[in-house]
Amino acid sequence: MGLLLLFNAFNGLIQGAFYALMALGLALILGLNNTINFAQGAFMALAAYFAFTLTPYVGFWGGLIIAPLLAGALGLAIETSLIRRLYNRKDPIYTLLLTFGLAFIMQDMIRTIWGAQGKPLEIPQFLNQPLSSTYFFLTGYRLFVVGVALVGTAALFGVLRFTRIGIRIRAGNSDLETISALGVNIYLLRSANFVIGIVFAGVAGILAAGQLGLNPNMGDALIMPAFVAIVVGGVGSLVGSLLGGLIIGLASGITTAFYPAASEVVIYIIMGVMLVVRPRGLMGQEGLFE
Amino acid sequence: MSLLVLNDVGRRFGALQALSGISLSVEAGELRAIIGPNGAGKTTLFNLISGYFPPTDGSIVFGGEPITAGTPTALVKRGIIRTFQITEIFLSLTVRENLRVAVETAMGLNLRPWISAAVRTVVMNQVENLAEIVRITAKLDRVAGELSHGDQRVVEIGIVLAKSPKLLLLDEPTAGMGDEETHHMTDLIRRLNKDQGITMLFVEHDMAIVFGIADRITVLDNGRMLAEGNATEIAANPRVQAAYLGHAA
Amino acid sequence: MSTDLATETARTAPQARTGMSRRTIGNVVLGVVLLTVPLWLPLVGGYTDLASRVLIYALAAMGLNLLLGFTGGLSFGHAAYFGLGAYGVGLMLKYETHSLFLALGVGTLVGGLAATLLGPIAVRRRGIYFSMITIAIGQMFYFIAIRWNTLTGGYDGLSGFARPKFAGPGHLLSMGPTGMYYLVLAAFAIAALLLWIVLNAPLGHAFVAIRENHKRLTFLGVSTQRYIAISFAISGFIAALAGGLNALLDGFASPNLLNYSMSGDFLIIAVLGGMRNFYGPLAGAVIFVLVRDYVSSVTDNWMSVIGLVFVVSVIFFPMGVLGFFNRKSGS
Repeated sequence: MGLLLLFNAFNGLIQGAFYALMALGLALILGLNNTINFAQGAFMALAAYFAFTLTPYVGFWGGLIIAPLLAGALGLAIETSLIRRLYNRKDPIYTLLLTFGLAFIMQDMIRTIWGAQGKPLEIPQFLNQPLSSTYFFLTGYRLFVVGVALVGTAALFGVLRFTRIGIRIRAGNSDLETISALGVNIYLLRSANFVIGIVFAGVAGILAAGQLGLNPNMGDALIMPAFVAIVVGGVGSLVGSLLGGLIIGLASGITTAFYPAASEVVIYIIMGVMLVVRPRGLMGQEGLFE
Repeated sequence: MSLLVLNDVGRRFGALQALSGISLSVEAGELRAIIGPNGAGKTTLFNLISGYFPPTDGSIVFGGEPITAGTPTALVKRGIIRTFQITEIFLSLTVRENLRVAVETAMGLNLRPWISAAVRTVVMNQVENLAEIVRITAKLDRVAGELSHGDQRVVEIGIVLAKSPKLLLLDEPTAGMGDEETHHMTDLIRRLNKDQGITMLFVEHDMAIVFGIADRITVLDNGRMLAEGNATEIAANPRVQAAYLGHAA
Repeated sequence: MSTDLATETARTAPQARTGMSRRTIGNVVLGVVLLTVPLWLPLVGGYTDLASRVLIYALAAMGLNLLLGFTGGLSFGHAAYFGLGAYGVGLMLKYETHSLFLALGVGTLVGGLAATLLGPIAVRRRGIYFSMITIAIGQMFYFIAIRWNTLTGGYDGLSGFARPKFAGPGHLLSMGPTGMYYLVLAAFAIAALLLWIVLNAPLGHAFVAIRENHKRLTFLGVSTQRYIAISFAISGFIAALAGGLNALLDGFASPNLLNYSMSGDFLIIAVLGGMRNFYGPLAGAVIFVLVRDYVSSVTDNWMSVIGLVFVVSVIFFPMGVLGFFNRKSGS
């Protein structure tokens, strides 16, 4: 039982790392682009398929770097041609439905180009070995996933803290009008922010595909938990989203050990309890986006 | 007895002392102007009186009862109603619909999922009454968002009037208005005070209006009370001249 | 002619009279068209069940639109209440009763009560936050449905129940496709009438005022959360009724009925038709269901076409087709 619990907890933590990566990308876009990006899951799948096609030419590592950037480029095209038109419509419903429709189209395109069947994504041999015979579930790949999530998160927070664009993104999150009045090009800033959010989704997608394989709907399973992570962590706080992702991943993993059927529902229960006890979430700001 | 009394009221935001040592009393039926340079704390004072947030020092008494810790909803029930610097009305509804929902709120009808013809008539008559008082009858069926800024302000006053306020707080009622609109608004304020007997506090930048209609004037500067008195006293007060009117001249 | 309740009621007397009569004519024409569907639809190549589907989606979207278009609350989780209605009806017919009306009543009650209990949690936040919470609450029911195999049939959905052949006292109604259509039409008409009454009463005025400016209403002493929760509950009951009818139509309840993508369908129906228009959801449902039915019969890439419908309607018809034509005829 002890080992099983440990196994499931570890599994949950990895799951939580995916949730956190997804939640960070979503939270960035929610903050500055004021958009609930329903296409985040589709971008994730798309990056994974890009990596699948690129791997034979540039290897896994090349794919891991190039594919998210390609997804980001597509994100840029969509942001500038479509989403940007909707920023001055106050009602959030329009961006929400737009990205929802885009997700449909992207999923359908993936199915048409690569087929509906699942595919494996080749990962380097050495990452596939278990590191210990007792703790058989500690494969190199799983640790690698956690490592990339950590590095990616650290890089994001570094960018937000220390670079000019990062500082502007954070300022824009709390008061867009003021930084606009200070002469910052908001359109450019929002585009950059959107691309960063999509690149995050892309990395998460490739990592997930390395473990679970590829299929056109692979993003669907991660986007809802990512929403929950944001609500639990608190809208407006990236650290909160990160923590929220890890917490619900862990909770889901531990629940699997005791009562597998409830492993998905448990995260919604956590969210419900959080909303009743502390409506603004773990680290959320009062009144943001309301 | 004074309708509204503030005893040594202050408000801090973190390290910032926005208001301190405010003591004033407003008599029933009085038309009181609050003036002062930008950042003097006028809107903060309004927010305290209307329950937007509580004071950090001192106490507020309304109609003989303490209201220091009152929420906006509770204070509205006691009859303290306010307008905002930015006009808050229902923009895509007609003026009639704006006033109607206010009247229904005042009559406690909001939860009713249906309504008899008799009650509907009472509501619509009251809407007409309000429109007459604020003189917007001719524009009752215009969409509020298409009206001039001044007319939107008038609609807002019609809305708050529906609640029969005992104390009406007007935050810069003539801001951004042209001469004619300003004249209409000051006339309205004076009539509401004299004809309806509504006690009013208003923040205003235009000195001509303040000296023209206010019974008494309270001057704030840097979060403190600088002076209080009638128009003649305030105009003659050297501290006011130095701190406030001097800036303007 | 505009059917926009928010700005259309209480015009000056002469305008009101002509507006009234035009609206009455409009309602009569609509009524005649809907009542005669089983007669003329086959002539234009349609089938009666398709019309039932249109009205069921229109009903759900109309319920949702009370919250969305008239109260300003963007719920992305109404599929949950639709789906609960469907499962409620399915389970009742499978295990408990052969009475169609009892099953439909219980299904509506189950979904409606869920919305009544969960609405107050969601309305504690506003804006995008409110939307995210409604999605997440909705997904909870989806996962319960796919995991509670023994009760719900899991991923495969709930089957093994059928629409009773007859309904009403003494086998009054034969429940073939035509009987089913008239049942749906009756439900639609009753719900539409109730919504109309509410929207023209103080409660509906308060809903619209919240959409327009909740701050103003709060400073008139109204606790707006309570009203949004009431709107949420009413719209949940109507969605549940629609879901129950959907289960009767199909003799089947799929977990997909509970999923957020179903909520997306209802939302786009409301937006596509015109969310500020009383009959907007009906117009949206006609377009959406017919396009989907046709496209999925001619191409495998129907998902892309539906996605395009979303993109095009959001970019080009933000006020919906009824809003679009209103503006054209108005100006």
